Amino acid sequence: MVQALRRVFLILLFLSVSTSNTFAAEEKESPIDIMGTVADHDYFNFFSIKIPLPRIIILQHAAGNTSLEVFGSTHSAIESGLFEDADHALVPTNNGKILIDLSITSHLVYFWLGLIAVAIFTSFARRRYSQGIGVKTEPRGVVQNIFEIFFLFIRDDVARPNIDDKKSDRYMPYLFTVFMGIAFMNVFGLLPWAATATADITVTAVFALFTFVITQFSGSKDYWGHIFWFPGVPLGVKFLMIPVELIGLLTKPFALAIRLFANMMSGKIMIIAILGLIFIFNDMYGAAAGYGVSIFSVAMTSVLYILKLFVALLQAYIFTLLSAVFIGMAVEDHSHDEEHYHAEHSA
Amino acid sequence: MEFAYLAAGIGAGIVAIGAGIGIGLIGKGATESIARQPEASGDIRGAMILTAAFIEGVALFGAIICIILALK
Repeated sequence: MVQALRRVFLILLFLSVSTSNTFAAEEKESPIDIMGTVADHDYFNFFSIKIPLPRIIILQHAAGNTSLEVFGSTHSAIESGLFEDADHALVPTNNGKILIDLSITSHLVYFWLGLIAVAIFTSFARRRYSQGIGVKTEPRGVVQNIFEIFFLFIRDDVARPNIDDKKSDRYMPYLFTVFMGIAFMNVFGLLPWAATATADITVTAVFALFTFVITQFSGSKDYWGHIFWFPGVPLGVKFLMIPVELIGLLTKPFALAIRLFANMMSGKIMIIAILGLIFIFNDMYGAAAGYGVSIFSVAMTSVLYILKLFVALLQAYIFTLLSAVFIGMAVEDHSHDEEHYHAEHSA
Repeated sequence: MEFAYLAAGIGAGIVAIGAGIGIGLIGKGATESIARQPEASGDIRGAMILTAAFIEGVALFGAIICIILALK
């Protein structure tokens, strides 16, 4: 009992210390910056140590020629005289224009970290399986058992029921990578100092684009037939169905990207807003009100963190499941003889 | 414009109502069918999550538009 109380106290202390450090440096006018915590940054935050990230910019000069500019940080980009700081954004001096901004940002770093984590995780398991552990004997160790739980879950509950049996194993590498990648990125985003890579629409759009491309390239004859020549409807309706089906083609990956992005971002905003109540009350009604609200806020945030841990895995599962469903819809050959056959034999 | 904030607030509320009704109906259907046929609970749970994800997607479209309005 005493042990448990001590742990709860330590957690509360840790939460209060870490949050006060992060917010103490914010500007005076607003006690918290909600959108600033979900936005992308030009530095990598590690235990409130800010490591600046390189800026890579393709710049178009006023004379019309372009050049590739590489700087160690935003600060050195401003010092070089080519850029100036306008409301926390880089603006080129001398009437130049930024053509493409290839800067490495915090979301990109966490995207890479997530994929590196997947690579380490899977190559560790591969080495184990090629040694025969888990093939002839039982899987050994915590990591391999966790790998097997996730892999079998994706294979037996996501890929095989939704994609045609003979073809499902061909899509397993992609589905497993997407699941583990999104799960790692979501879980990394739960670290108090970290950025959630999946709370960025560009990251989720890249994942959705991969699903879209794979779906189109694995489309069977029936799939394209359904889009351009819908079977079983009158001739006029066939032409009417073409734009509808084409829009449906594009909304699927769009919904996929928006769903993951909005879920991860709303979770992050919710936690910042509830913790931010402490600072708002502190500003409006004095320190006592701030301490009073902190009891409610910290308890609420702790519960939300458990919910977010669940949501992190659930959203990775939903993304993978929907990817599998879309791919499965594309690879399916449903000739009408086969349907007839199934109907006869299942009855 | 202040009206953009008003629209965002009302919109977010309506989105929440719609998604709540939809997901509530799914939960009702799923629990009823699990009660009738407990051995099919695995399949029903999968279908429930999938359908709820679709409704959530539509609701989040609305929520995103509300965020865009509020940040305008």
